[in-house]
Amino acid sequence: MARELPLADVKILDFMWVLAGPGITRAMADYGATVVRIESPNRIDPTRTVGPFKDDNPSIEHSALNSNNNAGKLTISLDLTKPAARGVVFDLVRWADVVCEAYSPKAMRGWGFDYESLRAIKPGLIMLSTCLMGQTGPLARFAGFGNLAAAMCGFYKLVGWPDRPPSGPFSAYTDYIAPRFGLVALMAALIHRRRTGEGQYIDQAQAESALHFLTAPILDSVGSGTRYEPVENFDPNYAPHGVYPAAGDDRWIAIACRGDDQWRALCSAIGRPELAADVRFADAAARRNCREAIDAEIASWTRARDAIDAERALQAAGIAAHAVQNSTDMSEDPQLRHRKHFLRVPHHTIGETWVENSRYRLSETPAKVVRPGPALGQHNEYVLRDILGYSDDRIAELAAGEALG
Amino acid sequence: MLDGCRVLDLTTERGFLCGQILGDLGADVIKIEPPGGDRARAMAPYFRGEPGADKSVLWWSFNRNKRGITLNLETGEGRELLLRLAAGADFLIESFNPGQLSKYGIGHADLTRVNPALVQVSITPFGQSGPKATYEDSDLIIMAAGGVLILYGDEDRAPIRMSVPQAYLHASVDAAGAALIAYYERLKSNFGQHVDVAAQESVTLAAQSTPLTALVGGSETSRMAGGAKMGAIRIPLVWAAKDGQVSCVMLFGPALGPFTRKLMDYIHAEGGCDDATSERNWIEYGAQLLSGVEPMSAYERITGQVAAFFKSRTKSELFEAARKHNLLIAPVATIGDVLENPQFIDREYWREAEHPELGVALRYPGPFARFGATPIAYRRRPPKIGEHNREIYLDEMAIGEARFADLARRGIV
Repeated sequence: MARELPLADVKILDFMWVLAGPGITRAMADYGATVVRIESPNRIDPTRTVGPFKDDNPSIEHSALNSNNNAGKLTISLDLTKPAARGVVFDLVRWADVVCEAYSPKAMRGWGFDYESLRAIKPGLIMLSTCLMGQTGPLARFAGFGNLAAAMCGFYKLVGWPDRPPSGPFSAYTDYIAPRFGLVALMAALIHRRRTGEGQYIDQAQAESALHFLTAPILDSVGSGTRYEPVENFDPNYAPHGVYPAAGDDRWIAIACRGDDQWRALCSAIGRPELAADVRFADAAARRNCREAIDAEIASWTRARDAIDAERALQAAGIAAHAVQNSTDMSEDPQLRHRKHFLRVPHHTIGETWVENSRYRLSETPAKVVRPGPALGQHNEYVLRDILGYSDDRIAELAAGEALG
Repeated sequence: MLDGCRVLDLTTERGFLCGQILGDLGADVIKIEPPGGDRARAMAPYFRGEPGADKSVLWWSFNRNKRGITLNLETGEGRELLLRLAAGADFLIESFNPGQLSKYGIGHADLTRVNPALVQVSITPFGQSGPKATYEDSDLIIMAAGGVLILYGDEDRAPIRMSVPQAYLHASVDAAGAALIAYYERLKSNFGQHVDVAAQESVTLAAQSTPLTALVGGSETSRMAGGAKMGAIRIPLVWAAKDGQVSCVMLFGPALGPFTRKLMDYIHAEGGCDDATSERNWIEYGAQLLSGVEPMSAYERITGQVAAFFKSRTKSELFEAARKHNLLIAPVATIGDVLENPQFIDREYWREAEHPELGVALRYPGPFARFGATPIAYRRRPPKIGEHNREIYLDEMAIGEARFADLARRGIV
């Protein structure tokens, strides 16, 4: 017997924007939750202005970043400076099980949307606030994007070359950690409510979630006084361990040797079996001391080869290796195809576009991803009429009063 | 929140964090290690650099709020004990290569037979099936396969990864979220299911949707020291300050242009640029660059002025200005700076955990979120090898002293 999607009974009112917050509710929409996003045309979601853009057209409906991060959601555009719009919000709170928001801490209180006020009209409500540094403390009002939290958490010093200043992780690193923890937090609260009937408020500081990815260096610094500086692709447990040039422009292959067996296999695979017997390279510690010599040997083999051909040859020999994939490689990756990672979906205003699938497979209740993120204002009528049961007159009145932004 | 739930954690370092999260949420997590200990106990770094099974920083980092037992799953008796435990468990998390558990006779079908309500979670490099399911892996390999590594590093050199492994942490938190989605469904259907997490797919989120670029026909994003090249436009993200570095976003368009407006107003007020530079239309600026109305050389002259200004100010001067004027600037911190950050101290974020075996207390990151009604508690430090064998095999499973001694003698526990 087919089972219903896990979150088919969960209704979410979503005030979130940019990356970290909407990533949480995207995952919940995949598994059946009804998510109503509130957007304001006066305060446009920055992800609508960041690529990749479909057909390289930088319009607010062409951002694949936005339509990927908001796939499966409904949207209503409301101008929250208008009292009538705030009335719509209160009705949506009565409808919702979960309210989540990613404004800086002052904003929700200013509109009367703080947890105490909302809980008074909706007992058992779960509310999540997610922001960079948390709802309290001297930096509570410091707002911004995940690059700033990543810098303040210490991630930047971990990416770089020893002879240059650290280059830092790509873009907004904590925005790729926080939504995973935010989902865990909301699911835990939903489970608790289902078991006890009790709702609650959750304060997620994205920096505090992200620091769990630095637990080891924090313990190592506190316990042993270790300093963390850029070390390019060095690894204390693998040798050799690096990224080597392949044939073509900006083409590379990553190789990681776990132990002496993989090292011997690598020597054979690159046609240099005699290296395996070389006493200078006998164990991982010795190989780390001769990195330059070893890397030159490996590169002389990889340089002439196609990255994906080299990957297949090395993997066939039992060596951990992979082409460093760009977006073209990703789109053609047979494993990602096997997992249906990329999905072509119809878009309300721009024809077709592509989104990424859920990042995991549930055997009995797999994700259902059929719609990209909505166009601005796409579901105003649906939300007001079908969800809230407003009459045509009332909807017309809201529109006339410019409450719909 | 998960009080009363039991989790069997069979993972290696690929999945430790998943079980720890469920433990933080109140579940009774039993970490099952092979006799002699998990392989992560033999991985650097160690406490004060001295190798030892109970001195592994990696082990400590992700095994809080778990009890620990040893069990040899390669033996029939080990398998039988595991199935007994599984019959009474709510979750089972594992990170063996695909097919390994089935070979032991404790695969998805075997576990479902003893407990149809069990939520089974598998964390693997590439997933349970498919052409790369048997690929060898590591953190670096997963980042390469997931479209993340190509975005990291300097444009004139090979891509580089973040030196502290991250790939399986992304996968492990995804696994916890997916496990809870499956568990929520179980509360309604009374059936468990199998959750298949592939680290390759998990890390794609860290590429910020750029893996879609070729499919949608966009301009490729590529790496650049301290920033990124988005199509033809070079976007700096890391800037040198007088005494270190800061991160600062300087972008354009209706949402981000206003922040650049404020940044340039501040720099102008401080005498860091001329009138013509500050008075650009930052909302339209990106479109002007792409259409050629504004030449790329003019943009580079402006970013050069911004860079020179940042170089003339300290990190804390720039951060103070950011807080005062709502600018998108933050200092690049060392781990030491993070520990001193007044925000985390004010919020009493850090948790000290006693390690009596070492005679020290260590500082751990605090709860990943603050729950108003059901706050996360750090109830147990990470277990030593087999620390709870007697408690679980004798007190709870009541296998008897004689059998316990026999199993221990034969290396099964």
